[in-house]
Amino acid sequence: MTDDDTVHEDVWVFVEEHGGDVAGVSWELLAKGRELADETGEDLVALVVGEGVDDVGAEAVERGADRALVADDPVFEPYRAGPYGDQFRALVEERRPSIVLIGGTTTGRDFAGRVAVPADAGLTADCTELDVDDEGLLLARRPTFGGDAMATIKCPDHRPQMATVRAGVFDAAERDPDRDGDVEAVDVVVEADDALSRVLEREVGDVADITDADVVVAGGGGTEGDFAPVEALADALDGEVAASRKAVDEGWVEPARQVGQTGKTVRPDLYVAAGISGAVQHVEGMNDAETVVAVNTDPNAPIFEHADYGIVGDLHEVLPELTDRLGGRSPPEPTA
Amino acid sequence: MTVDADWTIVVPVKQVPDADDVTIDPETGTLNRSDAPAVLNAPDYNAVEAALSLRERAGGEVVAVTMGPPFARAVLETAVALGADDAVLLTDRAFGGSDTWPTSLALARAADELDADVVVCGEESTDSSTGQVPPGIAAHNGWAQLTYAEELEPRPDDDELVAVRDVEGGHERVAAETPVVVAFEYGENEPRAAGLHRKIYAETEFEPEEWSAEDLGISEQVGLVNSPTKVGGMDTADPVEREQAVVDDVDALSDRITEVTADD
Ligand SMILES: Cc1cc2nc3c(=O)[nH]c(=O)nc-3n(C[C@H](O)[C@H](O)[C@H](O)COP(=O)(O)OP(=O)(O)OC[C@H]3O[C@@H](n4cnc5c(N)ncnc54)[C@H](O)[C@@H]3O)c2cc1C
Ligand SMILES: Nc1ncnc2c1ncn2[C@@H]1O[C@H](COP(=O)(O)O)[C@@H](O)[C@H]1O
Repeated sequence: MTDDDTVHEDVWVFVEEHGGDVAGVSWELLAKGRELADETGEDLVALVVGEGVDDVGAEAVERGADRALVADDPVFEPYRAGPYGDQFRALVEERRPSIVLIGGTTTGRDFAGRVAVPADAGLTADCTELDVDDEGLLLARRPTFGGDAMATIKCPDHRPQMATVRAGVFDAAERDPDRDGDVEAVDVVVEADDALSRVLEREVGDVADITDADVVVAGGGGTEGDFAPVEALADALDGEVAASRKAVDEGWVEPARQVGQTGKTVRPDLYVAAGISGAVQHVEGMNDAETVVAVNTDPNAPIFEHADYGIVGDLHEVLPELTDRLGGRSPPEPTA
Repeated sequence: MTVDADWTIVVPVKQVPDADDVTIDPETGTLNRSDAPAVLNAPDYNAVEAALSLRERAGGEVVAVTMGPPFARAVLETAVALGADDAVLLTDRAFGGSDTWPTSLALARAADELDADVVVCGEESTDSSTGQVPPGIAAHNGWAQLTYAEELEPRPDDDELVAVRDVEGGHERVAAETPVVVAFEYGENEPRAAGLHRKIYAETEFEPEEWSAEDLGISEQVGLVNSPTKVGGMDTADPVEREQAVVDDVDALSDRITEVTADD
């Protein structure tokens, strides 16, 4: 850091924490941020906002940060865009990072603009690839038009260069208890009374991480709400259950298990799509699977174009048979 | 209570190319957007519905706003046909090439000009799919925001809007002071169909107001030059190669799966 306000340096990663749990994407960004910082010869700085989050700062150091900045105050719990945005913006303007990476979660997407707009920063949404060029300029790449094209977005004249990044596209940084680094408590600039909103209730259940699974069995509209065959197959294959947005919107499956453009990117060895049509927004999240198997009653469903092996049939018959053959227990037959 | 308690509800709607018809030029790798018919951004149907439903409960009026070329007025007609009371077209060459920073500035100024109590956006546009415009509008005006909203409960007498929001792994109920910017979740309500009379009115009689960048006092702050982000290149993504083999029976499929998942 220097006093010259035209100089911006260091790579910052926002470490998202809610009630003690850290979002998986934050550790993924720390790994990627480490690579970028090594390339530009800058420091990697973790930013932690919350209440009672010193240990999260310490863990960020163990996972690769050179420094952690911790803004600790009850005003940050539970999350609200106003206090997070104001605190983050104050730090960005005071310390002038060059690059700021934020997980593309509902939280990250909610407050990123509250930093970028007043700070006059460039903000690229929902990136899936990150690089730096010879001059240290961030090359943020993102799919457009349902993954048919990739756009490279640059931010030549404004700092910081901010990006939200989709969950599941990078490997998480490992923990190394021997790593050293500072955990610095920063001044909290937000007053509780200033907030424009208040949280009346908050219910957080399953924050399952489907992004690390080797096998993912996903169900969609074709399940008509009966996920038992999907769960049984996932069980037999020791995999995770996932879903299309349709199944999530219907309330059949928790949002944390949604795959796709507005959900997560998964990279399993095997992805089974059962009763999923294959809309572009879904396919974007499963393109990195090694092998894709599709089960659909409609032989013309687009999903077959994105599958290695497809079977035309009713998932309520095909999945239990598969589960049987693969040595799992099939769900009890519905009594007629 | 005075009549002032009635809300002005502004709905930013965007014209987008119909995603099913966008093609990529194999030679240049660029998108042929111009071939595709322009339609109302699908998530914005949910936003319009949410706005109309708020008007029914809170009282007031719904004003649709779009920023785009002159022919983008078509989406304003759609919004008016669906039930919006009025509409404003923000159009000016100066807006050309705007990224989310100036786009949300123009919409923020328009919302302010209209004295909005509530701004209801869609979750994302299907062409730029950033979801950044709604928080951008809120940030430019220093207003509250409620993104990923699934349900809205108006409390005009308290100058508050309550929303059920989708948060990672669950839900929360949040009360926000008006003016407030909402991004309503795609698919979370059933958009109504346009009534015939309304449709005819929208197509034959209705004229949106037109505002330029100068009218909004932001000529020097919009357009490509004032956009922090620049598209540095566009290439077709390497298509993922898939076998696309259709197997006839479950035995064959289970063999494949066993091969794939065998520990190596
Ligand atoms: C801005 C935006 C973002 C989006 N983000 C996402 C996202 O992140 N993830 C996502 O998934 N979607 C997303 N979508 C939605 C997407 O466009 C599709 O609407 C959605 O993926 C459809 O889900 P589905 O295929 O499960 O359901 P449907 O479209 O209902 O398809 C059901 C399929 O099941 C088949 N079927 C029916 N019965 C059976 C049976 N008994 N056995 C086998 N097959 C059967 C049918 O032939 C059909 O192909 C997004 C949309 C928008 C506009
Ligand atoms: N040019 C525009 N004119 C009006 N509304 C817009 C425009 N761009 C984005 N919006 C609104 O912002 C929402 C999110 O869009 P985006 O941030 O582009 O993904 C859309 O659903 C619209 O409600």
